[in-house]
Amino acid sequence: MADFPRLAATAAAIRQGKVSPIEVTRHCLDRVARLDGRLRAFITVDADRALGAARRLEEEAGRGQWRGALHGVPVAFKDLCVIRGLPTSCGTRTADYFTAEQECTAASRLLAAGAVCLGKLNMTELAMGALGDNPHHGHARNPWAVEHCTGGSSSGSGVAVAAGLALGAIGTDTGGSIRLPAAACGITGLKPTYGRVSRAGAMALSWSNDHLGPMARAAHDCALMLQVMAGPDPLDATASARPPDDYVAALDGPVRGLRVGVPRNFFFQGLDVEMEAAVRQAVATLATLGARVEEIHLPDPQVLNDITGLVSRSESTALHGGLLRERPHELGAFTRARLELGLSVPAHDYLQALRLRARLARTFTREVWSEVDVLAVPVIPEPAPPLRAALEGPLEEIVARQGRFSRLTRPFNGLGLPALSLPCGFSTGGLPLAFQLVGRPFDEATVLRLGHAYQRATDWHTREPDLA
Amino acid sequence: MSENKFQQAELAALLGVIERLAGELSLAEEPARFTTALEEGAPAAGGGGTLGSPGPSR
Repeated sequence: MADFPRLAATAAAIRQGKVSPIEVTRHCLDRVARLDGRLRAFITVDADRALGAARRLEEEAGRGQWRGALHGVPVAFKDLCVIRGLPTSCGTRTADYFTAEQECTAASRLLAAGAVCLGKLNMTELAMGALGDNPHHGHARNPWAVEHCTGGSSSGSGVAVAAGLALGAIGTDTGGSIRLPAAACGITGLKPTYGRVSRAGAMALSWSNDHLGPMARAAHDCALMLQVMAGPDPLDATASARPPDDYVAALDGPVRGLRVGVPRNFFFQGLDVEMEAAVRQAVATLATLGARVEEIHLPDPQVLNDITGLVSRSESTALHGGLLRERPHELGAFTRARLELGLSVPAHDYLQALRLRARLARTFTREVWSEVDVLAVPVIPEPAPPLRAALEGPLEEIVARQGRFSRLTRPFNGLGLPALSLPCGFSTGGLPLAFQLVGRPFDEATVLRLGHAYQRATDWHTREPDLA
Repeated sequence: MSENKFQQAELAALLGVIERLAGELSLAEEPARFTTALEEGAPAAGGGGTLGSPGPSR
């Protein structure tokens, strides 16, 4: 078996009897045992139950019984998803910080479709922070260069997929937390539209900005996972009643004539030279595939960042203020500072921010989606920086650094738009470079289709880190 | 700058942005219009996304 099996291909191979659920699960668990002491992708490894589940799935397959599209495929979940029988630390010092009556809907749907749960993945404390550090469970390590940031907050999800420890993972994204680790670790990650995937059974950081989504090696893999995860859910009032598209079937549709917008403002300002060159090359590749590339001026993304940031601060403090009041000593300095800020936001301003967000979403739809079908922009402003340097200095510098690292992703949380991060090269230092495709609300099918077409024309997503 | 001071400065900047823009809001604008905006901006359900075509507008 390949060291880095792909999710969709493995699901197909299991169906065809070319590989067994036990074989794939054992392969992943062996890699976890060999590599995770160094990489720290997992908080909890659930090896015995994973092998038990794989055994049952193998027996069922032998009888011709198939649970669903992911029968026998090993995946893992960010440690803020409630999974029956496992603790949910949310990256805090408390082993079981978050509990819910029901299992995380998105994870539960993957398992019902036959996925095997390998365990729970590392993350930044309370899903705050863009870099991937964690003072309680150890900093997740970038498989491409272990001294560099993984991106956060779904750090373990990025690392586990990039290192071939799991074939897919669930991440969450409040300001970029799926796309930042996907970009930094050289994998593919999709933040779906707000309400496309249920948030039930996953710890909330900001009700207005939280999104759950798939992280895997390729757009095809993400489409397969989203197909299973998406859809209405009575347990989440914000989950859309809109039926999901057939994302997998849509992958091979035409991309010729799609209008791809490249912003003139904000997104390419202050960008690392190699990052900019790689993103522009990716856009040129889209043009060779028949996409019509057009420059566009966007409604001020910094305003969106400010509004999204203020809403997130208020809501996260409302949610997690108890921990701040009762056990502040258990919190890392960065998390404590972010929660403290939320205490000072007047209710009046919080509500004005929510009203403004609604207006900006309408303005964006009117001004942008009348001109283009998809936006192509960078995800991170530079390749993943060295972790030690990123965490050095006074707190205000660390806060500013984290804000800069997530400034290109956060606008799309405020707008609730689907955004797919795709690898598009490597720096001279060997670190992944990435861009994101952003689509209309609920138009995951188009961003996945264009991402899939890009990945059929390039091989960046197939590169594998040397972990020997 | 002390921890408290830099947070106060950050908050003041954010509140300044909100105050500047909120003056343009009409009485009819409410937070729930966000989800309406998403639904209104979406392509037709079940259509497999936006189809590429040489047409200038859709």
